Amino acid sequence: MAARNDGNCFGAVIMKLSYNWIKDYLDLAATPDELARALTMSGSEVGCVEDKDGDKIMELEITSNRPDCLNIIGLAREASAVFDIDLKLPDFAIPKKVPSFAKASEGRHGPLSIVHSPISCLIQDPNLCPYYTARVISGVKVLPGSGKVKKLIEALGMRSVNNIVDITNFCLMELGQPLHAFDLDKIEGGKIIVRVAKEGEKIVTIDGVERELHEGMLVIADAQKPVAIAGVMGGLGTEVTDATKNILLESAYFNPLSVRRTARKLAISTDSSYRFERGVDKGMIVNSSNRAATMMTAGGGGIGALIECGELKVKPVEINVGVGAMARILGVPLEVGSVKKVFTRLGMTVCASKADQLTVRVPGFREDIKTATDLGEEALRIYGYEKVPATMPDIFPSTVRKGHSRLVKERLTELLVSSGLSEIITYSLIKEAASDRFSGITGNKVSLMNPLSEDQKFLTPHLLDGMLKAVSFNLNRKTKDLGLFEIGKIYSERPDGSYDEIDTLCLAFTGSRPANVAEGAREFGFYDLKGVIENVLSRVRVEIDLAGKDMDFLSGGAEISLRGKGPAGFIGEVTKNILSQYDIEQKVFILQIRLQDIYRTAAIKSVHNPIPRFPFSERDISILCPAGTEYGSVRASIMDLADDLVRSVDFLDVYSGDNIPKGMKSVTISIQYGLSSRTLEADEIEKAHLKVKSALSSRLGVSFR
Amino acid sequence: MDPAKLLEEISKDFGLSLESCNDIRRLEEIRTDYLGRKGKLNLVLKDIPSFAPEERKEVGSRANLLKDDFSIRLDALKFELEKKLKSETTGSLDVTLPGVEPGIGTRHPLTLTINRICDIFVSLGFEIAEGPEIESEFYNFEALNIPLDHPSRDAFDTFYVKGKYVLRSHTSNVQIRLMEKNEPPVQAIMPGRVYRPDAVDASHSFMFHQVEGLLVSETVRFSDLKGILMNFCKSMFGPDIKMRMRPHFFPFTEPSVEVDISCANCAGVGCRVCSGNGWLEILGAGMVNPKVFEAVKYDTSKYRGFAFGMGVERIAMLLYGIEDIRLFYENDVRFLRQFA
Repeated sequence: MAARNDGNCFGAVIMKLSYNWIKDYLDLAATPDELARALTMSGSEVGCVEDKDGDKIMELEITSNRPDCLNIIGLAREASAVFDIDLKLPDFAIPKKVPSFAKASEGRHGPLSIVHSPISCLIQDPNLCPYYTARVISGVKVLPGSGKVKKLIEALGMRSVNNIVDITNFCLMELGQPLHAFDLDKIEGGKIIVRVAKEGEKIVTIDGVERELHEGMLVIADAQKPVAIAGVMGGLGTEVTDATKNILLESAYFNPLSVRRTARKLAISTDSSYRFERGVDKGMIVNSSNRAATMMTAGGGGIGALIECGELKVKPVEINVGVGAMARILGVPLEVGSVKKVFTRLGMTVCASKADQLTVRVPGFREDIKTATDLGEEALRIYGYEKVPATMPDIFPSTVRKGHSRLVKERLTELLVSSGLSEIITYSLIKEAASDRFSGITGNKVSLMNPLSEDQKFLTPHLLDGMLKAVSFNLNRKTKDLGLFEIGKIYSERPDGSYDEIDTLCLAFTGSRPANVAEGAREFGFYDLKGVIENVLSRVRVEIDLAGKDMDFLSGGAEISLRGKGPAGFIGEVTKNILSQYDIEQKVFILQIRLQDIYRTAAIKSVHNPIPRFPFSERDISILCPAGTEYGSVRASIMDLADDLVRSVDFLDVYSGDNIPKGMKSVTISIQYGLSSRTLEADEIEKAHLKVKSALSSRLGVSFR
Repeated sequence: MDPAKLLEEISKDFGLSLESCNDIRRLEEIRTDYLGRKGKLNLVLKDIPSFAPEERKEVGSRANLLKDDFSIRLDALKFELEKKLKSETTGSLDVTLPGVEPGIGTRHPLTLTINRICDIFVSLGFEIAEGPEIESEFYNFEALNIPLDHPSRDAFDTFYVKGKYVLRSHTSNVQIRLMEKNEPPVQAIMPGRVYRPDAVDASHSFMFHQVEGLLVSETVRFSDLKGILMNFCKSMFGPDIKMRMRPHFFPFTEPSVEVDISCANCAGVGCRVCSGNGWLEILGAGMVNPKVFEAVKYDTSKYRGFAFGMGVERIAMLLYGIEDIRLFYENDVRFLRQFA
């Protein structure tokens, strides 16, 4: 049995069920398959069903709210409700014929060989253990496990130890109450003290491991030493062995939280501990002790009187519920009579009912039922979810179904895909070195306190590591030409201790655009990357400007600014040094830009502008300028004129080489002149063009070719 | 010159020009030369007033006849030339050469899956809501009725960031944030990234994606949850798919259910994909636990709700027949290009 940890299991555990065993408590007509299906459909999901020595063993997933199903009788109760048949409980009374200490020293099974000094029990911490019982069982013969008990507990995957321990395990599985059998003669000082451990106190548990205890952990101790970790595991020194003659049988209630904390701290989970964690049935503590004692003395021996310590307060839970209201909320036609019957089969008492109003008393083993809503679930799951009709709710459609940023994100994804890039998704947890590798672009780091490994310790402050890993992964698999993008979050801590999660876009190109009939293969370069981002952003009405900026991890790097809004990212070729850390041997061009900033200025709505009715005129112009003159300043010199007639400035060509003096270059641009109201006259165009030329020569000192 | 002779000459010249013409551009030049406004025939017609009266009618009708004749012959030749051109073009085109790719990329299969799920609910009137991944314990646990030190918290072995902050283990935190800000009715679908400290293998990942849904109103019933989920399952996996609900336990819903769909791989007969039982678990759901409403200060006597949550990777794996969750994060383009 083990706690499951995948999916939404919320602390569910696996419990095994024997078909033959459950039939001891039910006149079951259902086949194993029918039983498995019924249990699954009422909430105890049956995983696999296995054949074992003429029996069928089912593996059930029991959710953490249903500790009452962690035993065979609990599951039999479920089946009794589903199939509407009686549940037959065993007789918990100790048979009169068994010798009891109080009155006889001689019984049917012969004289008792040993007489004991009485055992005394003391609870020191009633919060952690409100109720403790112990009882002496004397003159037992410890033998290897055998017969039905051995067969059944083995069927459920438990190991047979000896007849005594097997019986405690049998009762655990049958009734859900963990019991512990001590070798009475190893208990020192005739005392059982239920107390918290002293810091550093040690105990060797029955699995042979020495465990160091901490303050606050509850132990069972004798006059000298701890003999068990309460509710978790017994001690090796007092365990029942072949030599054991007399037994001290423990049956108790331990505080669930205390057991849980202790078990977690010691990193052990046992059949006993997780039952106590979820809460055992307070009504079954004495019954279990009686049943085990009776079974242990079946072949001889005497049963001592029950020594009880503390008390259990059981506050009866009573819930009023209207069957009509219940049916309305669930949308299911429930009938009072059948609901009453279901509650009764599940162990509840329907105390009073008038019309469809029921007063229901909930048994102690169903601490999960506290409200009418909980009772509704009980009625429904036995009624059967399959019978629930499928209806449609009243709908209140939202008028803004996707927020602005979501729309921008979806639009950009579409545009990037139609630009030929493939979307990737990378882990947002990375290692520290990868987080630090790109200096100057990240905020305060965010790390995990309990990472799975050092490789996944930091929330990524950039998307570069994930991107370069993806590039590297593909290059290693011989895909050399890549255009990739990711829209993800980058994380940082704010000065006030809260956290920033910023939607961010990362783009990369590497390799070549493949050859086709029209043109040969062409290596991807800086301008491919720039072209994609400019074009894509222009479709959401965002314009960007680039300005050269020195960054450690980029050669030919530039800062990207949103026009009029300031820096939002960077672009450039990744340095050889960085690439070598990803085993990349070819050029990679990369870009990262914050989408959060783009959301603010992006426009999703299109606005119609009338198409010009009069033709524009085009004038090309070739400028001779120093090689260092940026195209951007040429363009700006013209745009800054804000001349009404200049409609657009378009790049045509940049050239240096033959016919161009060294250190110079020729830039050719095309300018459109026009008005929306009429066609321009030739002399108007010439005048405007002259104005442009004079602005260029006065501002940039360029000449014309 | 004698106008009749002149026309005779023009006709002869036209015949020679046409004979030597073998492309359409030349043909159009010839047409202009002879039939244009300033073409040879029009020049003759323009001179008609200078002819002797007895010649005028004769020349006029002859010139007009030639006009018709030229036009017909030009059109006939043009038809021939175009036919020839077309067959030449066809002959030189190797239609089996690969086309020039316009470079259309691919969306990630998880994005496609999230969009498909969201679109189904958006069309039903749900809005999309998102929330933070680094979240306080209150929103991730307490407000959802998951108390500290309760076995139900076991499933949430959770990544801790600092103090009371965790990496959210589900997108349910968005429910709480949404309800805190809005009075009912609320109808939302909440996609996002979540984290759990599971070692990576074919079916586990420490990071994955969830889509959560929530509907709160005064009238919603459990049977409505079944109706909505049934509609979703059929929209997502096909109209023939069967759905069933099993009772389950989640701290934030009561009643709680797990939802299975019939295995599409074996039509519910039982196979490797469904571990032989014919059903595949795809989501968890339930009626919102009134304790959750208390946490967001909703009137529990007035409002009811349902909520559901599903793992995107799981659904994408079923949808596309993917057997290893790690493929989603390796980003092998040979994998990515299979989805559109």
